[in-house]
Amino acid sequence: MEIVVCVKPVPDAETRLRVATDGTTLDPEGVKFVLAGYDESAVEQALLLKEATPGSKVHVIAAGPSPRTEEVLRASLALGCDLATWVETPPGLASDPISAARALARAIRAVPHDLVLCGKNAGDDEAGVVAGALAELLSVPDFSAVLDLRWDAAATRLRFQRWTETGTETWEAPLPCVVALQRAWNDPRIAKLPAILKSRKLPIAKVPIDPAPPVAGTSRPVKFELPPARTGAKILEFKTPEEAAQKLVKVLKEEAKVFP
Amino acid sequence: MPDFSLTPEQESLRDLARKFARTEMAPHAAECDRASRFPEEVYRKAYDLGLLNLNVPAEYGGSGLGLLDQCLIVEELAYGCGGMTTTVIAHCLALEPILLDGTPEQKERLLKPFCAEYHIAAFALTEPSGGSDPGTMRTLARKDGDDYILSGEKCFISNAPQASLFTVFASVDPSLRHKGVTAFVVPRSAPGLSVGPDEEKMGHRASSTAAIRFDDVRVPAENRLGPDGNGFSLAMRTLDQTRTPIGALATGIAQAAMDQAASYSLKRETFGKPIAQHQAIQIKLANMAQAVHAARLLTWRAAWTIDRGQKGTLESSIAKCFASDAAFAVADEAIQTFGGYGYMREYPVEKLLRDAKLTQIYEGANEIQRTVIARELLKGYE
Amino acid sequence: MTGPTLVVGELEEGHLADATREAVGVAQTLAGKENVLGFLAGSSARAPAAAFGRVGVAKAFVAEDPRLEGAVGAVVAHLVASVADSVGSELVIVGGSTFGRDLVAHLSVRWNAAAATGVTALVRTDAALEVRRPIFAGRATETRRLEGAHAAVAIRPHAFPSPPDATTETALTAVPVDGIPPALWVPKRTGVKPAERGAGPSLTEATIVVSGGRGVRSAENFHLIEELAASLDAAVGASRAVTDAGWRPDSYQVGQTGKAVSPQLYVAVGISGAIQHLAGMISSRVIVAINTDSTAPIFKVADYGIVGDLFQVVPALTQEIRRARGR
Repeated sequence: MEIVVCVKPVPDAETRLRVATDGTTLDPEGVKFVLAGYDESAVEQALLLKEATPGSKVHVIAAGPSPRTEEVLRASLALGCDLATWVETPPGLASDPISAARALARAIRAVPHDLVLCGKNAGDDEAGVVAGALAELLSVPDFSAVLDLRWDAAATRLRFQRWTETGTETWEAPLPCVVALQRAWNDPRIAKLPAILKSRKLPIAKVPIDPAPPVAGTSRPVKFELPPARTGAKILEFKTPEEAAQKLVKVLKEEAKVFP
Repeated sequence: MPDFSLTPEQESLRDLARKFARTEMAPHAAECDRASRFPEEVYRKAYDLGLLNLNVPAEYGGSGLGLLDQCLIVEELAYGCGGMTTTVIAHCLALEPILLDGTPEQKERLLKPFCAEYHIAAFALTEPSGGSDPGTMRTLARKDGDDYILSGEKCFISNAPQASLFTVFASVDPSLRHKGVTAFVVPRSAPGLSVGPDEEKMGHRASSTAAIRFDDVRVPAENRLGPDGNGFSLAMRTLDQTRTPIGALATGIAQAAMDQAASYSLKRETFGKPIAQHQAIQIKLANMAQAVHAARLLTWRAAWTIDRGQKGTLESSIAKCFASDAAFAVADEAIQTFGGYGYMREYPVEKLLRDAKLTQIYEGANEIQRTVIARELLKGYE
Repeated sequence: MTGPTLVVGELEEGHLADATREAVGVAQTLAGKENVLGFLAGSSARAPAAAFGRVGVAKAFVAEDPRLEGAVGAVVAHLVASVADSVGSELVIVGGSTFGRDLVAHLSVRWNAAAATGVTALVRTDAALEVRRPIFAGRATETRRLEGAHAAVAIRPHAFPSPPDATTETALTAVPVDGIPPALWVPKRTGVKPAERGAGPSLTEATIVVSGGRGVRSAENFHLIEELAASLDAAVGASRAVTDAGWRPDSYQVGQTGKAVSPQLYVAVGISGAIQHLAGMISSRVIVAINTDSTAPIFKVADYGIVGDLFQVVPALTQEIRRARGR
């Protein structure tokens, strides 16, 4: 099985968030970029499927600027991916997921791809739209929020579950397709030291920047804001416990927007 | 001018060690400290990831890292747990004599199968009667044909309870004092070798320490490292290599202590404001930062010097001595910053002081480091 | 944007979902009530589509076909794109569920639309549409400008109010289910297991955590905390005072020696807010504190506070939450 796994470099989860001087994105100063969390699961699942299906290869592809994109590709190679391709995009932090999907599709079309695996979403913009866009661009079906992904070689079918708000679905589908993964069979493996050292010498194929990317159908960040610092609780005045309850539910719904 | 930035490769190594320390070591640190437990499962994982045989060349199955790369890893591991890092360092220390003075045949025979699977090694130099003064060694190696018969006792040997391989220093002729000391590689299975119970320590309790008895242990000549009388020089050259990573270990502990104190000082309020806004605490934090930065840079400089093929005795002694004293001072001030909470074992900061203390004592006590520094320094004035 | 706004509906237990009602509200605010059209696809869609009338939508497109049961999301995207084109729509809005986000993803290419998901605010500025959305797990917010003639937006659930009840009669137009590439019909959904209600999430993974402290006074009273948690489908935590007293096992403890949690919402009931506890929950996005002592340190770090008797407030709150969630 030819497996393509798409990954994205995102700021480390412990990054102290600061606003860039132009106010549109995160301040890139001192930001450490790593493989997005769900992408780690996607790479893990790709490697597990490769190990379970002899003769398979895993090709990791990422679209983004230098040097962080090559770094996550190297990290993926160190985990055990066989091939890596970098689609260069302009520098900066103002990314657009659909443009990224188009960039990835350019690279994927040029290589064998039975199964295209993505993480459910990236830890920064959390858009979760790349898999669906890729499916349209590659003209194949896609499935999101996938768990327990298996390949049934005898029936030549993928078997998996999908998590949805109303329940867990069971599916079977032929290849080729795109899968956005929620969880792999195992926790992502940690790359071993010898593999890390070896990965620095492995080749990464490069696809140059698209000189004329489409603008229609894209979006760009115009403001990046941090929540105001905690200055102490807003005390809700009430005369009866019921009033307190109503006020709290209202404020959680309308102001804090955390009501389930 | 020196370039202080790390290569992307070094960043990857550091990231690996950091990840391992935060996800595999730190979660067990408090429990192993409390129970004085040697977490074999953690060391096995370290082995799997290539974080155990750091100094052994790749051709023998190790990670083949230079000293600076080793220090980058050791500092991150020590941030997770000083005791678990001591196990790794003591293991590398035991293998270093084989790397320095072993013949190609010995390296092939002794290192390759050892590194092919999870094994722990121990370095047996210290004796009850002499730690800082190995010239008065009482463990004897009596010649018997082509073999040597070892008899005597070693104490405070890290990793002894779990080691499958020992690098042992014994004297073939006590009258020659340090010139009689000879180095041997002894497998645990050798009849007559027995290991005492794990010692109850102040800190580094995830690392095990015990005495070893040699009751007429037969060692073939093929397991002797270098000729008779080579042992003292080999031990000194070994410690020249392994002194610097102790600086990195101490730096890791110091960094952890400073991080705890700084973070706490922003949250804890007294007299209406976070204590970080009180000058008394700011001065403590400033002193901690100076100590941590200096410890790291001295360690890096020493490692870089040795990686370039120089002996680096002065640099590595300064690094070890300064960093270990710094770790103790920083951990002390960190506890003080926490106040009463710092004294409670519920908080992780008091462990850092107990772990820092050992770094001032082992791998060449700081008193000895100071005499070495003075001696090396004065050479430049003669 | 001058064309009508198309709101794509989703079914929840056979009825029009809450998220769809909220999407209609957004569309009406942005485009004006008369300019909002509905869309619903499913194996049984005509009957539920009539519910668009209850939120004031006068016209809706319905694609009803047994093949739509268990069909891949891409099929609906095909139908939506062709309807949107046929009515000259420039904006498609949908509730931000898995279905909604996938739809937006497909429309971004199929309908050449600027896409945004998890949106908490939409504003039309001069010639473009701007959306606000949380990023970095809610630690920051971005405003995005959607470029081009088409936009597809999935709104974040519960971020917008539902429109007031109406009694409009919705005129339904049938949409033929054809022109779908054969490959999209091949994948088969072979089963659905409904989501379990009541099985609480684990403390460290939960989106909402409700914790009880010393103020609860006894092990027997702790059920008040558990009921409040259940009403929110939240995980249950406790302060060290509670676990030290043995009212609940150590595994419940949130704090320095317990678990560190960072949910979207943390409700601290009868917890004073000692630094030991704060260490375990300070990175929660929204903190609510309920305590009789107005000087308790917890009120310094909470976003909202109720100074009152938890034995009165908590049951009232549990009841109000159940009512608000239609349970």
